[in-house]
Amino acid sequence: MQYMILVYEPEEAYATADGQAKLTDIVARHMALAAELQAQGIQKDGGGLQGTETATTVVTLNGQQTLHDGPFAETREHLGGYYLIDVPNLDDALAIAKRVPVIDGGKVEVRPLIVH
Amino acid sequence: MRRFGQAIAAARPRVVAALAGRLRDLDLAEDAFADASAAALVAWPNQAPRDPAAWLWRAALRRALDAKRRAAVRDRAVLDEPEPLPTPEEVLMAAHQPIPDDRLKLIFVCCHPALAPDSRAALTLKLVCGLSTDRLARAFFIGEPAMLQRITRAKRKIAGAGVPFEVPARAAWPERLEAVLSTLEIAYAQAYEDAALAVGDTAPFATEVLRLSGLLAELVPDEPEVLGLAALVRFAEARRPARLDDLGAMVPPDRQDTALWRRDLIAEAAGLLDRAAAQGNSGPRQILATIHATHCARVETGAATDWASIAALYDVLAILRPHAATAVNRAVAIGEVRGAAAGLADLSRIDGVQGWLPYQAALAALSAKAGRRADARAAYAAALALQPAPAERLYLEARRRALEAD
Repeated sequence: MQYMILVYEPEEAYATADGQAKLTDIVARHMALAAELQAQGIQKDGGGLQGTETATTVVTLNGQQTLHDGPFAETREHLGGYYLIDVPNLDDALAIAKRVPVIDGGKVEVRPLIVH
Repeated sequence: MRRFGQAIAAARPRVVAALAGRLRDLDLAEDAFADASAAALVAWPNQAPRDPAAWLWRAALRRALDAKRRAAVRDRAVLDEPEPLPTPEEVLMAAHQPIPDDRLKLIFVCCHPALAPDSRAALTLKLVCGLSTDRLARAFFIGEPAMLQRITRAKRKIAGAGVPFEVPARAAWPERLEAVLSTLEIAYAQAYEDAALAVGDTAPFATEVLRLSGLLAELVPDEPEVLGLAALVRFAEARRPARLDDLGAMVPPDRQDTALWRRDLIAEAAGLLDRAAAQGNSGPRQILATIHATHCARVETGAATDWASIAALYDVLAILRPHAATAVNRAVAIGEVRGAAAGLADLSRIDGVQGWLPYQAALAALSAKAGRRADARAAYAAALALQPAPAERLYLEARRRALEAD
């Protein structure tokens, strides 16, 4: 079964004095986890996203499409990256989700893909 | 009919669990069991078969596999790759397999931590114990449509998110078992609240939680907290016949007539608690059970409640489970041991509990005992404004009248 692991972190989490060091550490841990999951054939896809200041949202309403600067929802946490994995069941997916590195206050959402 | 009802209810956890394991579909398992139960009432003319569970398992499995066949035939036009149909031979073969014991798997699925705690409790009581949606709605104080939606949503998540029908791996065991235990605690708290309402059919709900906690202790005999929880439920249930007076008002444990307590349940609970203690590794449910045991000791000693021991046990519990409820109960015990002023002093140190009924009730009782009538009057008014269940309302009103009469 395929699961999308969505990684959310507080926008300002890395805006501290040691923010860059924290970021470097967490990125390194992502790379290590991704390499391990790929070697096991579990990870199908994944990646990190650039900051929300680079986001553009296309809104479709009443048949009209308009562009907005920024992410679709103005929340404290933003989507920072994702893993697409293929494992037998939710327990296996949750076990991997718990290993995804996040800064304190980070949240990892696990969503199964629609089975066709 | 009633005799059959009991045989069917007793067989239910094993049969529904086996069906869920075989069919991997909770709705289908429930429906098949309901169909087989209806068939049983017709097919068992005078007495239940020697092994009702085996009979129900065969009948339900045959029906479920037939239903799957029909559904697969019906959906064949739209499905890209229909699942292989069970052949009539397979149906016959399956029906003669001995009934597997998947009860623990079913409990772990219903209590999966990926489900909301209230949903876990409702789902477990519905699937394992067979309580109706209507009964659960009343016990959880929500409307029947809301309860139905809660259960439907939980089942959909189990199926959609790929919750496995397995006993969890050793590494996940502590987290998963904790989810099961907290679910049973929620269920029992509901049963207890429910009883405070004093509406005719409350006992069956508590009886089912009693049965469920006993089943878990049978399936997982080597986890002290599981035994502690089973003991806790039994100690509390043993006092049920004495919990209300003739007018329907609540009676606190230290004033209950011990002659009404169920000695059989107290003995059973004490046995479970001894077994838990023998395994070492104490946890909050064992401490709570020991507090109940201390209350229940009056049945043997005939003496007054040993509040000093209870206060000491709450000290331990405050470390293991630092909740406001623990602190309030501890203050009540301190009030009995060292006097009302000491109890009030402890109570005043608890934050954020002003709008909580047990706090106001404790504040009222301790203030009255300390002779602070104005404080007591205010706290009784605050407690009664928090809409206590009828039995507790009657009790609080009586205490308030006693205060004015002094």
